[in-house]
Parts: sequence; structure tokens; C-alpha cells
Amino acid sequence: MGKAMNNREGAVMILGGGIAGIQAALDLTELGFYVYLVEKSPAVGGVMAQLDKTFPTNDCSL
Amino acid sequence: MLTNADFLALEGTAGNFTATINLRPRYIDADACTACGLCTQYCPKHHVDPYNEGLAITRPIHIDYAQAVPATYYIDPSSCLFLQHETCQICVPVCQSHAINFKQQPEERKLHVGAVILSPGFGKIDPKTLAKFSYGKHPDVVTAFEFERMTTASGPFQGEVKCFSDGRHPKRMAFIQCVGSRDIGCNNGYCSSVCCMYAIKEALVTKEHDPEVDITIYYMDIRTQGKDFDAARERAEAIGIKFVRAKVADVTPWENRLQLTYATLDGQHKFEPFDLVVLSVGLESPKDAQKIADITKIGLNKYDFCATNGFNPLQTSQEGIVVAGAFQGPKDIPESVTQSSAAASLTAATLKKVRGKGVELKTYPEEQKVAEDDEARIGVFVCHCGINISSVVDVAAVANYAGDMKNVTYYTENLYSCSQDAQEVIKKKIKEHKLNRVVIAACSPRTHEPLFQETLRDAGLNRNLFEMVNIRDQCSWVHAGEPELATVKSKDLVRMAVSKARHIQALPEQTVPVTPKALVVGAGVAGMTAALNLAEQGFASVLIEKGESIGGNLKNLHHTLAGDEVQSHLKTLVDKVKQSKNIDVICNAELVQTAGFIGNFASVIASGSGKDKTEQTVDHGVIIVATGGREHRPDKYLLGKSKKVVTQQELEKQLAGKAKTRAPGSIVMIQCAGSRGDDLNYCSKVCCNHALKNILKVKEINPDSQIIVLYRDMRTYGFAEDAYTEARKMGVVFIPYEVDRKPEVTQKGAKVQVRFFDSIMQEEVTMSPDLVALSVGIVPDDTDTLSKLLKLPVTANKFFLEAHVKLRPVELSVSGVYVCGLAHGPKPVDETIVQAQAAAAKAAIPLVKGYVKVDPIVSSVQQDKCIGCGLCVSLCPYGAIVMQKVDGKRKAETVSASCKACGICAAHCPTFAISMGGFTNEQLISQIEAFGATGDR
Amino acid sequence: MADQEFNPSILGFLCNWCCYAAADAAGVSRFQYPPNMRTLRVMCTGRIDPAFVLRALAEGADGIFSGG
Repeated sequence: MGKAMNNREGAVMILGGGIAGIQAALDLTELGFYVYLVEKSPAVGGVMAQLDKTFPTNDCSL
Repeated sequence: MLTNADFLALEGTAGNFTATINLRPRYIDADACTACGLCTQYCPKHHVDPYNEGLAITRPIHIDYAQAVPATYYIDPSSCLFLQHETCQICVPVCQSHAINFKQQPEERKLHVGAVILSPGFGKIDPKTLAKFSYGKHPDVVTAFEFERMTTASGPFQGEVKCFSDGRHPKRMAFIQCVGSRDIGCNNGYCSSVCCMYAIKEALVTKEHDPEVDITIYYMDIRTQGKDFDAARERAEAIGIKFVRAKVADVTPWENRLQLTYATLDGQHKFEPFDLVVLSVGLESPKDAQKIADITKIGLNKYDFCATNGFNPLQTSQEGIVVAGAFQGPKDIPESVTQSSAAASLTAATLKKVRGKGVELKTYPEEQKVAEDDEARIGVFVCHCGINISSVVDVAAVANYAGDMKNVTYYTENLYSCSQDAQEVIKKKIKEHKLNRVVIAACSPRTHEPLFQETLRDAGLNRNLFEMVNIRDQCSWVHAGEPELATVKSKDLVRMAVSKARHIQALPEQTVPVTPKALVVGAGVAGMTAALNLAEQGFASVLIEKGESIGGNLKNLHHTLAGDEVQSHLKTLVDKVKQSKNIDVICNAELVQTAGFIGNFASVIASGSGKDKTEQTVDHGVIIVATGGREHRPDKYLLGKSKKVVTQQELEKQLAGKAKTRAPGSIVMIQCAGSRGDDLNYCSKVCCNHALKNILKVKEINPDSQIIVLYRDMRTYGFAEDAYTEARKMGVVFIPYEVDRKPEVTQKGAKVQVRFFDSIMQEEVTMSPDLVALSVGIVPDDTDTLSKLLKLPVTANKFFLEAHVKLRPVELSVSGVYVCGLAHGPKPVDETIVQAQAAAAKAAIPLVKGYVKVDPIVSSVQQDKCIGCGLCVSLCPYGAIVMQKVDGKRKAETVSASCKACGICAAHCPTFAISMGGFTNEQLISQIEAFGATGDR
Repeated sequence: MADQEFNPSILGFLCNWCCYAAADAAGVSRFQYPPNMRTLRVMCTGRIDPAFVLRALAEGADGIFSGG
């Protein structure tokens, strides 16, 4: 995501770095926008990072 | 990425916001921290670990989990001895990289942004609500979140399920559904939409750990309405997990066990003893929802989730601010992922003018030259995948085995090879040991090869100097009962891969330009929304519709469950599509042929009929499949035979009409008519809501109407639960029926008679209502033709199969082709709109970039060996080899961008002049030799 | 008993797009099957030169599986 600069045009702030925030951030960067992903805890990942497997295929969640 | 950050203020308007963020100190310099973990070992203070739901103890200075991003430790000030009492500071000298800095201060930052996406997730149910189940009083009552950590291999108990009270393994376990959801008592009248799924998942995982454990799930309705979710419930039932329809009153300690009191449908109270009780707790609005609303001035609904409208489901009440994920309403991972992509495309549309400004492209270090005759220095990394691999395969033995092989310079094991820290290890080892080939034995290259190839590029290696061994999906998972043979198989596969790796070569990267236009197939609400969104992002599309006019199924709907009028919205949408300069609509049209590949498709579209039939070719870069679906009309319950039997859609039409008797005095509704194991094997997700929508309308027109609903599970998930509650308050009677005791509808003179077993009164009932309304399912419109034409996989139920059900819900396995709407699976209008916006986001990515990369594994012709026979040209199914005159002689040449890397040409070339990147004869033969060479290394 | 059992060694050529994907899917669904096959991933079964099959038999394979 590169280093932050001030006054970026075309920047987007995403509040919350769970799976939803991360996916939105990935898509927006691919679409050509600079993203600030703001997360209140020390790491992104949200609740999905706490899950073991996912329904219904029981794939690994991490 | 700004972590440990609080959102303080937001000023300005769409296109020009200023957000104020407070960065709380980590007390550790992120750039210096190597995540070695020494500090945690030395820290003397205990700290309850919230990442593990309080089930484990860590230290104030720690990292939540090994794969955490950023991979930097932090100090939790709430329990740090120095930050609380100014003593200790043991960690400071311990840290070898001098990363600990107690002088760090909070830092306020202003961010200038054009738009905001809110994805704060969800909150947890207040423990007070859980008290009646003895939660907090007895250690063996846990929440599903806590239980999830317990079953996790990398969790505090390495996945072992046990009772907290005395460490014994539970023999009998219960899951209680709807804890803190569908519960007016705690003001959460809605359904949390995920608990049924996670309870079934956790029950299945528990059974995997210990097949002997007896598990009962107490539920009101099992809401597995998602695509192919019912199948998992059936799987759970098949392996002996019990489902009991009952309301649990309380859980009380009883000797060293727990006693669960519940009431069944027939009014009986029963008691059952259990060793462990798991509470399937719901999702609440985030704790700081009100604060976020105050700062951003967005509106909230009555449950404090973000308020939105069904036709624009992600738009908040403030322009420039959209919402995604559970804050919009409780939802699962694929729905969240879909909403995020949709939020991205909405934002991209609003900020179209400033796209690309201020973004730096990722750069890679210069590629290290690996010449053909350089001696191979192979690094082998064998993955545990938590316990996914290591519980079956002896990972250490496989790694050691690889270590003894010729050319293997370095070998090791990884707990999770895909984790961020493992990537750093791989990069470091490539440099340290001058590795020029990397072999990773882990999961499937189909999912993880790109990730590792990226790591190779970051380390300055050509990404093709890589080989993957699949010892999970195709070994540990399928040979769970034969650990020794699975280990032998893993060794053999690693040997074959290393043998191939000795011969692999660096391949050049190529790119091809993209035609900036989309082809959207199907002009229902999905296709129209996708094309409009692309238009708003600045891209042209050709929207083809097989019918006479655009609009699709929306034409049959009149109002939504939320009470919104449909037709006026449809008209606005249709007008917008017709007026858009970026959308070319062709009706009465069908796709006849498509050639090409992502970025460069050429499709033949036939339109008109008979003599007026014309064909045109359209060049485009991406395809969005939105072919839709329709009502399934089962040949059952006298549908089509009696005028008194209608589908919900027909009833809706009747209700929207003007006839005085449009809302009959008595109606019996039959849910799942033809669905869930009948004609259709699946749940169509929308029928329960459709029934309720009609019920409320009937009651609005004719409050005296008597309505009975015969159902299997009422699946009014999310906020639709409110409508279910309202209907019951109005006196509508809901009676469940069992699949082996379906209601019967017969003709009796001019009347229809419905016979069913009343499970509440425990007796057979016969009645003659004025009308029988069937909630029939949804079937996809013809998916076979498109599936063959574009080589797209479909599910057993004939819906298109997405590339990954969780993480790539709108992409199909063919690059450049995306899916949305009913063609993907049954879903209501709001979810269809979101999915269409998400498909537009994904489709816009190659269009924005303007180029796509060609996989370097394509064929290439060594022209000095080519004798110009032309056999390859005649065999290539993709027209990707052409004959050319080179110095007056016929020579074959590959069109790289069209080549699909199938290798037919290489397999048939009589002079071995054709070589496949990454799959050369030499490489494959060496792999085959290694297959036979069981004794050698 | 194990000595008398025929335990063939099989080399499977699997197409990346269908059979290899299906084998992954079998894993995801936890279907169990005997561990006798060793896989060799190709991008398409069209890549399989008959010479590969002969070579594998010569190397001691009891059977060849081609999935595409």
C-alpha cells in the first residue's frame, strides 16, 4: 500500500479491518484508489481470524 | 493501514472529507520489531487473552496470533506493570532490536479522503442475557466463540474439546440456538443469520475430533438458507448429530453436570443432562455504533445497525459514506465479502474523476539471473497447516526425507506456510542459502501457488522457479485413517517435485492489453445494476437480453417486505439504463459464440428472429453472467389444476390488483412446495419472506383473513424476523410439518381440501380454505448453454459455481467472467443488487488496469526444430498456433495470449520442437522417473 | 494378509482444471480413498505424450490414471 502522503486525491477511508474492510481495501486498491484501513485493534483480520474452519466446506479460515 | 486507531471526527462532504484518527501507542517500534517473541517470554505479568476469548493467558506484551498483520508485537496498557505502576521494564533490555519504547505518545492524524466505507463488524451479546443458561456461573457453559477457539488446532487447547470444570472429555454436548437473537427480552428481535451455520460447523468439527460424542442442537428453526447450506445440515444429521425443535428455558448445574430444561412444540417440558453446553450467541450491532453514527451523522435502524434501503442496500443516509459487512445487518462471510466488493465499486463510481491519483505501484527487486546450467539449489518447505496436515502426515519425517535429497540445500517445516511470517522466513531463507528453486509441500497449487510465487518475486526469484506439492487436499484430508501410508505418499510426491524442480527454468512475464468494455448477459435487476455501475465507473457495456424487454423478474414483483413499491423503482432503473451513453441494450438477443480470453473476448450475438435475425460481433474485455432464474412450478398440490391453488407470486399479483375479493377470508400457505429434497434439492431462500410479505398485505387489506402457514423451518433471517413476529401477533398460525408427513391438497367438488398433521395439537386436521398459496422455489434459467459456451462449471442444482464460496463469491473459474443474481443462486432483490455491484467491481479491475498478465506457462516453438508439418495447428483447440514463413520455410508459432497451456501441441509434435513453460518433457520425465525411484533420492 | 493384498502403485496424470480440481474438492469434502496413487499435475490431459505413459510403466507403475 505504499507510504502515506498528505492530501491524497482519490483516497478512501475504510473504518474496520475485518474481512469486509480488508476485501473492500483490496478491491479499491485494484481499482486505482489509495486506501486508509483504520482498525481499532492492533491487527487487521477481525473475527474471521479467530475462526478455525468455515461453513459449509470446513475450509481453513486463516 | 492504521491499526490501534480510534476514529474521532469526520468533517466535510462527499469528495472532500477530513477524518481525524487517534493512533494509540503500541509502545513498540513497528519497523524494528522482528516478532521474535522474546519479550513475551520475559514479561512477568499475566494478561487474559481476548483473542482466545479469555480461554488463555498471555502477557501484556504480545501478538494476537502468529499470522497477524502487521506482524508487530504490542503492549496492552491495561495490565502492563510499567504503564500502570511505573515498575518492571524487564522487556526493554530483553529486546535485541531495541524496539520497545515506552515514550510513545498517542498521535492524532488528519486524513483527507473522498469517501468512507464503514465496516466496523458486529458486537457481542451482553453476558447478562446469557445468565439464565448459567453462563458465568458454571464453567462448562461456553459461548460458540469460546468453543470455536477451543476446537481450533492453533488455539489454546490445540483443538482438544474438554470441560473446563474438570478437564474431562464431554460425552454429551448441547448447542442452544437463538441465544440473544430472535429474543425480544434482550431487545434483539432479529435473527443473526449465521448461528445455525456455525453451530452445525462446530458440531461437525467436534465429531471429527471425537466421533463418540453425543451432540444435540436445540433450535426453533434451522436457517441454512444459503447456497448449498442445507446439504451440510443433512450431512450433520447423517453422522448422528441430533436436531430437536424446542425452546430452551434454562440450564442449571446438576451434580457435576448441567441440566437443560426445554419445551417442545407439543407443550411438554423435558429435562436432559449434558457435560458441555454451547450457546449459539447472536451478532449485535457494534458497541460503538452510536458513536460512529454521531460522528458520521448516518442513520441507524431500531437495532442500532446502519439503516439502508433495499434498493440501495449499502448507501447510508450520508452521501459519500457506504456500509459493508455485519454493520449493515448480521451476515456471514460470503455476504460480507460480496458487500465489500460492492462498496468498493460504489465508491469507485463516486470518485471516478480522481481514480489513479496518488497510488504507487508495487515494485519488485530485480530478478536474480538463474541460468539453465546453474546448479540447482532447492529449498523445501513442508507445511503443518495447523493440524490439517500434521495430524495425519509425519511432517518432520517428510521434511527430513527431502533434506537428504540431491540438490536440496535447505529444508524446514512451517506451522502455516501461507502466513505472513512464513513468507518472511521463505524470503530470508532464499537469500541466506542462495536458493534458486523453491518447493512447498502444503495445500493445493490451485489456491496457493499465486501467494508463494509473489513471495518468490519479492525475494528476487522468477516466480516459475517454484513447485508445489499437495499433501493436504490430496493426501492428509483423504487418507485420514492411514497416517503411515499418507506419509509415504507425501514423501513420494515431494521426491517427484524435487526431481522436477531440478529442471525448472525461469520464464518471462508477458502482458496483453484489455478491451475496455463489458458484455453483460441478462437484463434483469442484476444485469442492469452491474451495467449501470460499470457505466458510472466510466466503462461501456453491451447488455443483452433474451426477452422482449429489460427488467426481468422485477416485473412480477409489486412491493417488498419492507413495504417499498417495486414498479416505480424498476422504471427508474430501466430509464437510467436506457439513457446511459455507456450501455448498449440489445433485446431478443442471445450469445452464440465467444472466443478469446480475459481482456480480449470476441462474442457473436444473434438478435431478432426469423428473417430479421442478424448477427454481430462484439469485442469486449470481461463478461458478467446475470442470466437469472424463474419460479419453479411443481406438479403438486393441484397447482395449475385448481384455480384455488396459486403460487406466492400469483397471490402477490392478485393483491396488487383491484378485485374486491383479492384478499380471501381464509388462506393456507404451504412452504417448501417442491423444494428442499422434493423436485428441487435446495432451499430457495426467498420463499419464507415472500409468504410473509403477502401475509402482511392480506392482513392490511382484509384484517379478518384467517391465515395458516404450514412450514418446515421459517427462514426469515436478519431483520425479516420482525415481519414473522408481527404476523404471529396478528394471529397468523404457523404450524411446522415433517418432511415425511407433508400436507395433502385434494379437490372436493368446487372446494379444495387441505389435510395436514398439526404438530402442536398432535392431530390430523382437514380444512377447506378459500385459497391455497404455495411457496415454490426458484430454478435457474438455462445455464447449460452458457456453461458449454464459456466452459463455466455449474453446481448439482444447475446454478453457476463461483470460484470460491467464501472469498471469491462473484468470480467464476474462467478468468474475466463474473456472476450475479439468480444465476448464482436463489436470493432476494437487495442481495441481488449488492452482488451485481460486487460483480461490477471485480469486472472493473482489468478494465481499470488496461492490461492483463499472460501466464508464462504457455507453449513455445523452437523453430529450428520445427519441420512445418502443421500437426499442432490442426490440433490446437484454441487457434493459438499459426504457421508462418520464416526464411521461406513453414514454421509454427504460438499466439501466447490465446494459448491455454493445455499442451496438446507439445504432446504431438513429432520433432519435440514445442515446449510448455513449466511442463517441459524433461521436467515431466524426471518427475515420472522419480515416481519409480522409490528407493533413491 | 497384507503381503498377499495387491497394492498397486498408480501414477495419475490430472488435468489442473477438472480432475486435479476434483481431487482437491474430494479433500475438502473429506472423501476417503486408498493412498495408492501419486499425482502428476498437467495443465490439460492433452499434454500427456504416450511416451510418458510407457515411461511410467517402465518405471514400475502398475497402472496409469489419466483424469481430464
